[in-house]
Amino acid sequence: MTIYETEVPGVGHKFELELDGEERLIVLIHHDGKREVYRRPGENQDSQKLFSLTGKRARQLGSILEGAHFQPIEMDEIQVPLGEAIIEWVDIDSSSPLVGQTLRAANIREQTGVSIIAIQRAEKTIANPMPDTTIEADDILVTLGSRDEQQAFSELVETGSTDTSQA
Amino acid sequence: MAELLLVEIGIALTGIALAGALANRIGLSVIPAYIIIGILIGPNEPSSIGGISLTLVEHREFIDVLAELGIIFLLFFLGLEFSVSQLLADRKRIAKIGSIDFLINFGLGLTLGVVFGYTLLETFFIAGIVYISSSAVITKSLIDNGWVANPESSPILGTLVFEDILIAIYLALLSAVALGEGTALDAAMSVGSAFAFLGVLTVVAWYGSEYVERAFDADSDELFLLRVLGITTLIAGAALTAGLSEAVAAFFVGTAFSGTDHTERIEDVVAPARDFFAAVFFFSIGLTTDITLLANVVWLLLAAILVTTAGKLVSGTLSGQVYGLDRIRSARVGFGMVPRGEFSLVIATLAASVGTGALGSVIPAFTVGYVLLMSILGTVLIQNSDPILDRVPLRLRKSTPE
Repeated sequence: MTIYETEVPGVGHKFELELDGEERLIVLIHHDGKREVYRRPGENQDSQKLFSLTGKRARQLGSILEGAHFQPIEMDEIQVPLGEAIIEWVDIDSSSPLVGQTLRAANIREQTGVSIIAIQRAEKTIANPMPDTTIEADDILVTLGSRDEQQAFSELVETGSTDTSQA
Repeated sequence: MAELLLVEIGIALTGIALAGALANRIGLSVIPAYIIIGILIGPNEPSSIGGISLTLVEHREFIDVLAELGIIFLLFFLGLEFSVSQLLADRKRIAKIGSIDFLINFGLGLTLGVVFGYTLLETFFIAGIVYISSSAVITKSLIDNGWVANPESSPILGTLVFEDILIAIYLALLSAVALGEGTALDAAMSVGSAFAFLGVLTVVAWYGSEYVERAFDADSDELFLLRVLGITTLIAGAALTAGLSEAVAAFFVGTAFSGTDHTERIEDVVAPARDFFAAVFFFSIGLTTDITLLANVVWLLLAAILVTTAGKLVSGTLSGQVYGLDRIRSARVGFGMVPRGEFSLVIATLAASVGTGALGSVIPAFTVGYVLLMSILGTVLIQNSDPILDRVPLRLRKSTPE
């Protein structure tokens, strides 16, 4: 993403921000602090003025945009570099064979390859649970592993074994 | 006497304020409005309406001094806002479009002067007057119409940067020749000394910015304003005393500041003073204008308006193509360059100060008529460029995105 800056003599500075495709956002900062924001949909179209702000308002808007007041977790956008691995949230049904077992006894890592990185139990979260933690009904297990490993784990949760040949 | 003077100044300033408000209301540039109010309430025709005297303001020395400060600070800001970085970053294209603009429009000005039988010096004045576009009117129109956020703003602003340098050189040369004694040797001497003086100023501007930075580090805006006004006026006055162009000296003082961190503060603190002085300058132009003289230059005026509007349309369109713009945008560059204004009037003021032959009478009158019409025509053309371009035959149709 490129930002172009040009001086506009007698007026101030102009910044052009490339958006998707040909679309551009243009911000004109006047010497007196006034900001004008334009949007240009495409190379051959004209810029439309979106709004103008005083310097003070512009700084307020800027801090909102920066997320200084509220930082949403963008679930769809979450990009944790985990290589092949993905994080899954798996509900433990009361009928699951794993209910009542400790993590050590369930031997999940050996059987499936996924690691249990947290357990969400009602309102609280047990991060990095110890091997002697018991799995209870209605727990949500937060697991880390590749797609195949996650697949094997959901088999284990449902049937108590990872042998899928009988299914 | 003093109380009478105060009332006159009050009338003048109120008139300027009202004219400016009216121009703003109808979406036109304030420059022609200031001139027109000067013509109306000044000592020249029309001096009465239905037997009631319209001469509310006499032409006085006090107004002349403020007007002179207007010229100095217009040029000071031109130097201050002169973007060396932009010029260097885009020098190839700016040199190209600047040359196109100069050759076509200055050339047309020379042609006009020769065809209408003016002397060589007068012709050079006319050429400068019709060549130089108005930074003030153009940048305001660009913002009002949203073009500033479009690609066509690049060649328009680039051409203005080039014109800014050229006008400094042109004024330096012309004032040296025009104010010189007349023999070739004297002219050469005064041109030489002019450039020596400007050379010193340039060196100071280039190497002294750190010193300027420190010297102007005032805590309060009041002291800062006084320092900037003081030093600029002092250097410009010294230049004028030495027989050089005070406007060019002010331009270089401005460039000395442009390399410092004071630029933003000057824009904040000094710009209102500039606006005030400049408004009085345009008003005083109106005061000194004898519109009855326009009858003598009516054909020159008509020819100049037709030819130089076409000239800017052509040179602007070519400049747009240098920047690789489509036909519509290139044509807009042409429309954008049409307004003429403050710098043409600065040249006319120089002509009036020489005061010989046509320079002292018809050329200033011609310039006022020309600027009035061109600043209004240019603004109207920019505002209505889309409907105009839509009527132009197929070859100017908007290109569709591939």
